[in-house]
Amino acid sequence: MIDLSHVFKRYPGGNEALNDISLSLAKGEMAFLTGHSGAGKSTLLKLICRIEQPTRGQIIVNNYNLNRLSRMRVPYFRRGIGVVFQDNKLLNDRTIFDNVALPLVVAGITGDDMRKRVQAALDKVGLLARARSYPLTLSGGEQQRVGIARAITHRPALLIADEPTGNLDAAMSDEIIDLFRDFNDHGVTVLIATHELRHIERLQKRVIALGRGHMVGAA
Amino acid sequence: MKSYFTRHLQVLVATLGDLVHSPTATLLTVLMIGVTLALPAGLYVGLLNLEQLSHGWHRGGSLSVYLQKGAAGQNVAATISRMKGVQSARYISPEQGLQEFEKRSGFGDALATLHHNPLPGVVVVTPDSVSPKTLATLVDALKAAPDVAHVQSNLAWLERLDAALAFGHRLVIILSGLLGLAVVLILGNTTRVAVVNRATEIDIIRLVGGTDAFIRRPFLYAGALTGGLGALCALLLLELSLMLLSGPIHRLDTLYASHYTLVGLGLGRALKLLAFGTVFGWLGARLAVGRQLRLGPR
Repeated sequence: MIDLSHVFKRYPGGNEALNDISLSLAKGEMAFLTGHSGAGKSTLLKLICRIEQPTRGQIIVNNYNLNRLSRMRVPYFRRGIGVVFQDNKLLNDRTIFDNVALPLVVAGITGDDMRKRVQAALDKVGLLARARSYPLTLSGGEQQRVGIARAITHRPALLIADEPTGNLDAAMSDEIIDLFRDFNDHGVTVLIATHELRHIERLQKRVIALGRGHMVGAA
Repeated sequence: MKSYFTRHLQVLVATLGDLVHSPTATLLTVLMIGVTLALPAGLYVGLLNLEQLSHGWHRGGSLSVYLQKGAAGQNVAATISRMKGVQSARYISPEQGLQEFEKRSGFGDALATLHHNPLPGVVVVTPDSVSPKTLATLVDALKAAPDVAHVQSNLAWLERLDAALAFGHRLVIILSGLLGLAVVLILGNTTRVAVVNRATEIDIIRLVGGTDAFIRRPFLYAGALTGGLGALCALLLLELSLMLLSGPIHRLDTLYASHYTLVGLGLGRALKLLAFGTVFGWLGARLAVGRQLRLGPR
């Protein structure tokens, strides 16, 4: 599902964010990406989502070779993956329903089909009753769950999350991670960046550790 | 195909909603475009009216053909009336001319002291057509006719007016081009600001797989709609001006005892103006949003 070989990322100004990263994640696998802040977790996820491009090295995600992916094709690649952001990235002037529906709307899915899928996704994260509310009326944990609902509503084969439990308390944080494990049980490939070792110990899933832009430990 | 139209309709409705949502900004832009477009459109209407007037003058226009002394006036008039491009030819003999002159000029006594009649015979020719080209041909043909001493066209100043009107038309075209560009720039700038204001939203739409076309669509609709509304505003301004002018024009009309009515833009040209505003609005939005999307993150 994800294949990186000898990937380097250097930012203008000489800051080497990633240094010779090679890793591969099989279809249906679930893994945690760990490391201290500044280790390169976010950069790696940005490369996988094609928000940024590597300085060197090849990246293949969901059968797309990102090195050869033209700007025109990027939207179609993105429709195959679901991304949960640390800061939610919700549209505050639209309802929860509209936020979750966005990936469907951009893909041209409308009407009953869209409504059913959005309701299913909201039901999954336990927020069906809040569909008509606006994001700012929700708690941090609820907002994060809206972000997750949006990431799964178009049924992606790959789910990527950047610190999804960033500023949540322990109970809520566990709930969120359990949601991801549930998706994985249903066949979705999951990659979660987190610095909370508690989850890693609790779930006993594969761990990819980064340190100062290098791979640390087993890949 | 149905879903394609549904999607466009949804965007159109959403865009209208957005425009209504910020009424002041929308109104200002619409007014700005309205005034910009009303300028060349107003000039054009002015030209249309001048043309209409000059057509009336043309109809009363004629050529005076002065005959040589001793020419058989009636015969010459008959020959001329058979010439191509001549509607009618009327002969005024030197005697008739003198009588008329006495009556009109008030020089009766002075004329009585003359030993002979100084006036030549004149044939007054009303031409078929008043276009400068056919008129020039006719004047040449008349000059070449036998017994003709001199041909005087009292239509010369009308030809000059025609030339001036042609100049006016060119001016309208140039102004329309420039002010069309102004509309593109106004909506380009409005769109640029709108895109910047919605940068977060655009970012998120991109991250969930929205294409550039999807992102552009509402901005293009907004541009086209604002441009069209601006053109509508220009039409209203124009109509208002014509209403304000109709009073004084009517007074002039009665004083001159003519039957002149003010000409408006007309339905066809009004629709053209609406299309012009819409297309230029779309174009302005397209240029701005295209540029902003290329500059932004991927």
